[in-house]
Amino acid sequence: MPDIAFAKPALPRSGTLVLPLHEADTPPIAWTGLAAEADAAAGGALSRALEAAGFKGRKGQSTTLWMPGGGLAKVVAIGLGKAADLTPHAAEAAGGAMIPALAKDREATIAADALPPAIAASLAMGALLRAWRFDRYRTKEKEEDKPKLERLAFATADTTAAKQAFAPLRAVADGVFLTRELVSEPPNVLHPVEFADRCKALEKLGVEVEILGPKEMKRLGFGALLGVSMGSAVEPRMVVMQWKGAPKARRGKPFAFIGKGVTFDTGGISIKPAGGMEDMKWDMAGAGTVVGLMAALAGRKAKADVVGIVGLVENMPSGTAQRPGDVVKSYSGQTIEVINTDAEGRLVLADLLWYCQERFAPRCMIDLATLTGAIIVALGHEHAGLFANDDDLAQRILAAAKLTGEGAWRMPLGEAYDKALRSEIADMKNVGGRPGGAVTAAQFIQRFVNTKDGPMPWAHLDIAGTAWTSKDHPTIPKGATAYGVRLLDRLVADWDEA
Amino acid sequence: MLKLCFRRGDPTPGLPVIWPSGQDWPAEITALAQAAGFGAEAGRVLDAPGLPRRVLVGLPASPLRLDWEKAGAAAAAVLAEAPLAMVAAPGLAPDSVAAFAAGMALRAWRFDRHRTRDRKPALARVTCLVADPAACRAAWEAAAPAIRGCLFARDLVSEPANHLTTRRFAARLEDLAEFGIQVDIWGRKRLEKAGFGALLAVGRGAAEPPRLAVLRWPGRFDAPPIALVGKGLVFDTGGISIKGAQGMEAMRADMAGAAACAGAILALALRNCPAPVVAVLAIAENATGADSYRPGDVLRTASGRTVEVVDTDAEGRLVLADALHHATATLGARVVVDLATLTGAIVTALGPHRAGLFGNDAALLAALAASGEETGEHLWPMPIGARHRTDLHSDIADIRQCMPAGAGRLQPDASHAAAFLAEFAGPTPWAHLDIAGVDTQDKPHDLGPAGATGFGVRLLDRLLSAQYEEPPEPAGGRP
Repeated sequence: MPDIAFAKPALPRSGTLVLPLHEADTPPIAWTGLAAEADAAAGGALSRALEAAGFKGRKGQSTTLWMPGGGLAKVVAIGLGKAADLTPHAAEAAGGAMIPALAKDREATIAADALPPAIAASLAMGALLRAWRFDRYRTKEKEEDKPKLERLAFATADTTAAKQAFAPLRAVADGVFLTRELVSEPPNVLHPVEFADRCKALEKLGVEVEILGPKEMKRLGFGALLGVSMGSAVEPRMVVMQWKGAPKARRGKPFAFIGKGVTFDTGGISIKPAGGMEDMKWDMAGAGTVVGLMAALAGRKAKADVVGIVGLVENMPSGTAQRPGDVVKSYSGQTIEVINTDAEGRLVLADLLWYCQERFAPRCMIDLATLTGAIIVALGHEHAGLFANDDDLAQRILAAAKLTGEGAWRMPLGEAYDKALRSEIADMKNVGGRPGGAVTAAQFIQRFVNTKDGPMPWAHLDIAGTAWTSKDHPTIPKGATAYGVRLLDRLVADWDEA
Repeated sequence: MLKLCFRRGDPTPGLPVIWPSGQDWPAEITALAQAAGFGAEAGRVLDAPGLPRRVLVGLPASPLRLDWEKAGAAAAAVLAEAPLAMVAAPGLAPDSVAAFAAGMALRAWRFDRHRTRDRKPALARVTCLVADPAACRAAWEAAAPAIRGCLFARDLVSEPANHLTTRRFAARLEDLAEFGIQVDIWGRKRLEKAGFGALLAVGRGAAEPPRLAVLRWPGRFDAPPIALVGKGLVFDTGGISIKGAQGMEAMRADMAGAAACAGAILALALRNCPAPVVAVLAIAENATGADSYRPGDVLRTASGRTVEVVDTDAEGRLVLADALHHATATLGARVVVDLATLTGAIVTALGPHRAGLFGNDAALLAALAASGEETGEHLWPMPIGARHRTDLHSDIADIRQCMPAGAGRLQPDASHAAAFLAEFAGPTPWAHLDIAGVDTQDKPHDLGPAGATGFGVRLLDRLLSAQYEEPPEPAGGRP
């Protein structure tokens, strides 16, 4: 991972220079500041070469020039799009886009001196997010294949302002990295016990961390969560994390984030087919996101009270595993007929949600879960499914999604869907059939949102399509995306800290 | 359709009497309700045997039109096998009576054409006892066209594919000329001349040729028409990419989009809608045959765009591509709405309770969603994302029709289909309703028995009356 530095503009006499350039309303591109100096030092060769290469400064455009003159080894031009359209999110994408072009470099200077310091910070954030890599298990990688980038120096007129803007972003990036790491870890390494232990690391950031084992959960009556865990050789865990950052006047009513943490999901007795089952290591992405989010909020010392709860289990088939047909009693007292042991995430969430309300009486609850294949069929990979019982909360989430580029799309809820959960023997079944599968899953979870004693704004993000990506994106390398960390960090920031 | 009469006075002795709540009941009915513990809650029905048989129907506190329709339907469900019935509604407003009657007519519909014996009696005639028969009759005449249109669509959807072939479907549409609708049926030669390569390819494997039906309702003012575009696959085997045997019989309903458009234009004609409307229905049978089109084929559509076929079972979007192009580019529609039983993905997404709503125009989408809520034909907005479109990149043609089977099991195919259609709708305000989950229902529902629903007819009728019955302002606005 490269170090990020902000420095006063000074033209490097050698090495690599990155030029983030705006698309001109009327071409050609306007050259200012360091970029203009570099072009002048090269006798105008940079602008001529870029024009010849068809570089227009469009969003997503990237052109590399080697030995362009002026003593530089390499110049990478990155398109920012039109100046009027430059949002922090677009700047991050441009920052991310420079990383593939710098794969062989040890360091580079980025001529961000003509941009506002906050935009320079966003460029740095994007670069950092893209440069992350999970290579813990590579032992034989060739030296030339390893990324070499050690330092990115962003030239900016106001280094103090840029550093100030970057500090909270850096904390959020660390939260994102924690999530990506947890999601990337293989399931033999990251089982429930190990996952819970890693949550302990948040204590260093000032987060209170409690870990509950099977005994405590049994005493509480977590029949739904424990049923899922029955088949595994590894004990389940629940982790409760609290960040108390709110000023005195706003103490007490925390935000609550709840994550599904199935460290591996075989489907249990309702076992999944073999093809693609390895993906089920990231069936804990909801929990991974909650942990990374807590790290991000604590890391930037968010002025809000926040509770994060994750339920960690492994869903295995075995002689002691839960069976289709079993009836379990959830912490809420409601009974559930388990029709399909592969619809286990909602069973875990059921107990967590009820517990969260009883203990914390939060101002709102948002749960995240890689819950259904149906949501991928419904929306694909650009949007997570958003279900909510409260329009204001839904609007806030959609607004934060737009700002962070972590897309969300509202999906319906309603009694007609809820009817599909009727059971002949218990209060409900845990599946409602293929049609509307993500909706009936959300209806199931909603049954564990207690609105009897007053409103309880609740939202559910089905992230099965967004937690993992098979393609590189500007700020997300292939693999774990940490979808949700940035969105929910933004939600808290805009709601409570503004 | 159920016959409705309206008169004053007392019930005819011997006939069952329906008592909707929402009015003051006579003491004996109130006493009956009390004795049976019937609180007249919304959606509840009390069937009290006796002479006369009495059916009490509950309604919510301030019922909307849809609530009256549902209440009427609930009463008709109980009396489905009583040929004659009375509705005691002396205390109800004419619009409420008409909506109640509309609900009864929707629920009393049956499709018995192909039963030759043991045909059960059906509710055929209902007399409403009301304070102002003339006003009620007028209200019913305003409500009835949409119901007739809906039932016409249900009849078409219910017909098996050996009875409703492409030719016979076209003939049924030609019959609509008697209502003042101009019907123009295109045969194969004309389609070839106009370059409808997609529709022709889909219909090529079948023994009966494809048809394009253009139904025009001239309206009363001069303006570009509102276009309704419907997918009319009289049967869909899947073609060479043949479907599994399980459930294939349901594919006789794969023309429900076209049926809904036809039903809607019938409703508009019956109520003499002022707006000009045109329905463009792409009718074909997707069969397996020696001349069937194949996965890998490249088709040239009416718009000139070429399409790579990946899966012959994604044929609906192909026939719609030609029909949408015709409606927008050739007929110059002001607005276009297409309806199609298009994808299994929309069923996975929304189940049997809502149709998927896609499009390029926020105002049109909002108006459609509102009409859906009012008529109980519920929609839900769904995305067309940038990625959905880039997924359709073809290595050989302008666009490919869907994702190949090898690309993975979980594909957002409803959004892919909508992204595909968007290319052919062009800049015209356009909406696409994927009705694959709602064209039929496995169980009796709020406004009908199990089977064809006629989904879309009442919705489109409402959309027109709510939005499009004034002439559009000329471009540039008023001086």
